Amino acid sequence: MRVLTDPALRVAALADHLAVAGDGLRAALRDPAGIIPAIEAAGLRGLGGAGFPAHRKWAAVAAEPGPGKWIIANGNEDEPGTFKDRFLLAETPHQVIEGALVAAVAVRASRVALYVNPREAAGVRALREAAAAWEAHPLLAAVSAVVGEAVELRVVESSGLYIGGEETAAVASVQGGFPFPALKPPFPAQHGVGGAPTLVNNVETLAQAGHILAKGAAWYRGLGIGDAAGVKLFSLSGDVLRPGLHELPMGTSLRALVFEHGGGMLGGRGFKAVFTGGPSNTLLTAADLDVAMDFDSLRARGSRLGTGAMIVVSDGTSILRKTAEYVAFFAASSCGQCPPCKVGTFQVARLLERLEAGAGRPGDLEALRNLAALLPGSGRCGLVDGAATVLASSLATFPEEYARALR
Amino acid sequence: MIGWEQALATPRDAAPPPAFDKESLLRGFHPDHAPGAMVPLRVGVSAGQPCPAALADLLQANALVEDVDIAGRAMREAEVLVVGGGGAGCVAALTAARAGARVLMLTKLRMGDGNTVMAEGGIQAAVGAEDSLQRHYEDTLRAGHFRADRALVAAMVQDGPEAIRWLIQQGMGFDLAEGEDRIGGHLRRKKPGGATAARLLSFRDYTGLELMRVIREAVLLTPGITVLERHPAVELLTDPHGRCAGAVALDLERREILLARAGAVVLATGGAGRLHLSGFPTSNHYGATADGLVLAYRLGARLREVESFQYHPTGIAWPPHLAGTLISEAARAAGGKLFNGLGDRFVDELAPRDVVAAAILREIAEGRAVAREGCAGVLLDTPGLEAAQPGILAKRLVTLSHLAHRAGFDPAREPFLIRPTLHYQNGGIAIDAEGRTAVPGLFCAGEASGGLHGLNRLMGNALLELVAFGRRAGAAAAEAVREDRPRGVGLTHLAEWERGLVAAGLPLDRRAPMVFPAYGNVDLAAMLRKRVAA
Repeated sequence: MRVLTDPALRVAALADHLAVAGDGLRAALRDPAGIIPAIEAAGLRGLGGAGFPAHRKWAAVAAEPGPGKWIIANGNEDEPGTFKDRFLLAETPHQVIEGALVAAVAVRASRVALYVNPREAAGVRALREAAAAWEAHPLLAAVSAVVGEAVELRVVESSGLYIGGEETAAVASVQGGFPFPALKPPFPAQHGVGGAPTLVNNVETLAQAGHILAKGAAWYRGLGIGDAAGVKLFSLSGDVLRPGLHELPMGTSLRALVFEHGGGMLGGRGFKAVFTGGPSNTLLTAADLDVAMDFDSLRARGSRLGTGAMIVVSDGTSILRKTAEYVAFFAASSCGQCPPCKVGTFQVARLLERLEAGAGRPGDLEALRNLAALLPGSGRCGLVDGAATVLASSLATFPEEYARALR
Repeated sequence: MIGWEQALATPRDAAPPPAFDKESLLRGFHPDHAPGAMVPLRVGVSAGQPCPAALADLLQANALVEDVDIAGRAMREAEVLVVGGGGAGCVAALTAARAGARVLMLTKLRMGDGNTVMAEGGIQAAVGAEDSLQRHYEDTLRAGHFRADRALVAAMVQDGPEAIRWLIQQGMGFDLAEGEDRIGGHLRRKKPGGATAARLLSFRDYTGLELMRVIREAVLLTPGITVLERHPAVELLTDPHGRCAGAVALDLERREILLARAGAVVLATGGAGRLHLSGFPTSNHYGATADGLVLAYRLGARLREVESFQYHPTGIAWPPHLAGTLISEAARAAGGKLFNGLGDRFVDELAPRDVVAAAILREIAEGRAVAREGCAGVLLDTPGLEAAQPGILAKRLVTLSHLAHRAGFDPAREPFLIRPTLHYQNGGIAIDAEGRTAVPGLFCAGEASGGLHGLNRLMGNALLELVAFGRRAGAAAAEAVREDRPRGVGLTHLAEWERGLVAAGLPLDRRAPMVFPAYGNVDLAAMLRKRVAA
């Protein structure tokens, strides 16, 4: 089932997009009050990683007074192993804009920021051209009429930093500042860009909205497996034969993703683990192969779906080296506001690098365990939690790999 | 085939050999052209290029190590990593260190244990008054059948005179012209096969050994170079952007994996003679197993003319325990003649090596060869040479006389039985004039590189190449070293490589590099299995 990756949607011209899509936005314009109930009935969740029910964010912003409310379509995407948003932005820019306009109608927002990582030059270019086409199209005027203000689309290049994907950081960045995450509350829904109520959603979440409005909540919910709703883009990478972007029903098993869609393990090696995007969660192991990949099932197993990035690790790949690589990424990405994060991620990265280079000492493992216990919850955003989680999980699940590095 | 005694009894006729068409001779008898000798490469950046099957098996193999093997391994740091301790590697290491870089050199055997020391004939450089760079350039291109890279050849011949000056500065000795004073004398120049001028400079008939003697000493005396002997590289390391950032080595003494991280890597791993293509014996040393080609190709370095190998005409055919051992071209340059079993000359002895080798193989194939104890070959007439120039064997062709002594005969009375021996890899890893490969951070020099010799190397150009391009690659590598230390270094290139093997339907259980020939009794597999268990 191809919804977001339907080849017919991979078009550059707005007319070509509207020839096969656009019904979602038209339906939204016919019945603006019906949008949020439809999103709720569809079971749409925040697909940037949090899995927060989309309708609650949307209702919160809709309840705030206008004018001048904002929508940020978050396409900052910078974590290792995740490569879904760049596809949506570069290949289906109109799908993303249509979804964002559905949200604009639902929450009565007039400022739509298409917030993109500038490293994805193709996405920035495609989005700019697409936005210009929408500006000249009567559908945007129709949206403005329903919103009650002139709706503007603006493409905002993000800082390109990982931290800029956090929602309060995205707000700060759209305001023109450095993407420092802020303490919550207040949430962007109440106090966002310039103090205005702001809906921050991942571009994949928004892209789903048009399809839900066009074909109905029941249809969308039915795409998922079991209790899970809809479809999800999985960024599959690592030691599989066919890495890449796979659009699959929410609730697909890890086994199906790796062994059917991914062509199985590269070179027939044994399956060892999966780092989920990104990559800041508890590792999945062979015992989790049959778990359904949706927000609730993975949470029940003590892990998270995250961005849907699945970095597969075989027997031939070192968990220690992978963990060191990801913690080094988090350490380099810390914004430095919160001392425990700034110093803690640095120390963890340093210790892991030492172990990896064969220079570790027995006390290093204990220091790592202490840091893994000490650091969670010490930052205003989730960065340090993610680093600590992936560290704690790899230490607990693969202690022998750490021990071997000490020989 | 003509028996040994009968051949010795046949009077040798010094009349010039009959003329023949060189192209059809090469097509008919050169091993590169034998039917089925080449297969097209199926994976990698040079897919489609013809390549000897034995080499293709190695180039299209899976790696010896994977990510899990390098976790927790001792990490050495350097600015420039040189892989290979022959002439090109040592010259590159010296040049990089003198340019200020911290250099680490990994050698599979010991420093100097390579083919450089076996280069007997000499080194070409256009230093004669009647000679010119242009003639050296044209001779090189012509001998290589115009398949060499003109820019590379131009760079090499221009470097020639300066390379000789540099070698003399390092302390290398050269033969002086007859009657010249030791102080201020002129270099003795000989006319090498395939050249239009007397351009071959030499030190007796062990020029390469003399070169290696001084370069090796210079490496040991230069601060800033760390040498790890008996540390073969088994894989290259990359950073997340695909830049080469070091190597995975095996410490053969401690039987452990060691990592070397560096800002730039110079591959100087030499050739592939020990693959014994088409069953030929080889003049090459024990380590010539094409390791560098395998590693570089896996990383995305382009190869060129890998279908072309040089078979040196005068390898020993008898006695069998010395089969393949080289007799210097100096013997022919000094006037030594080749005879078949009928006592006839069959080729101009100073024609390019591929032509002479093909002509010998023609004599063998067409029954005019000489057989001694089941070994077939033709005669190198050392008695005739000694008669024409009394004392030459003892004074100038020292190595040749030593070989005859080992074989148990007197070369002044008995000729050598010779046949072509697998000698040199004409092609290799494609480079530019600074020794850069297609992979950022990866440089290459010496026999491992390709482009300088086209389809046939001229005698004396191998030593010149290793000096000229060892210096060029060493300097360029020192320049390319980055301020920051490479990060995220690993084996990320291997997954994509393995997917390519699967897509091409190639086996995944074939492993390379070879490192040591199978008859070497070094159980590499056992050493690598131990690494995981340890």
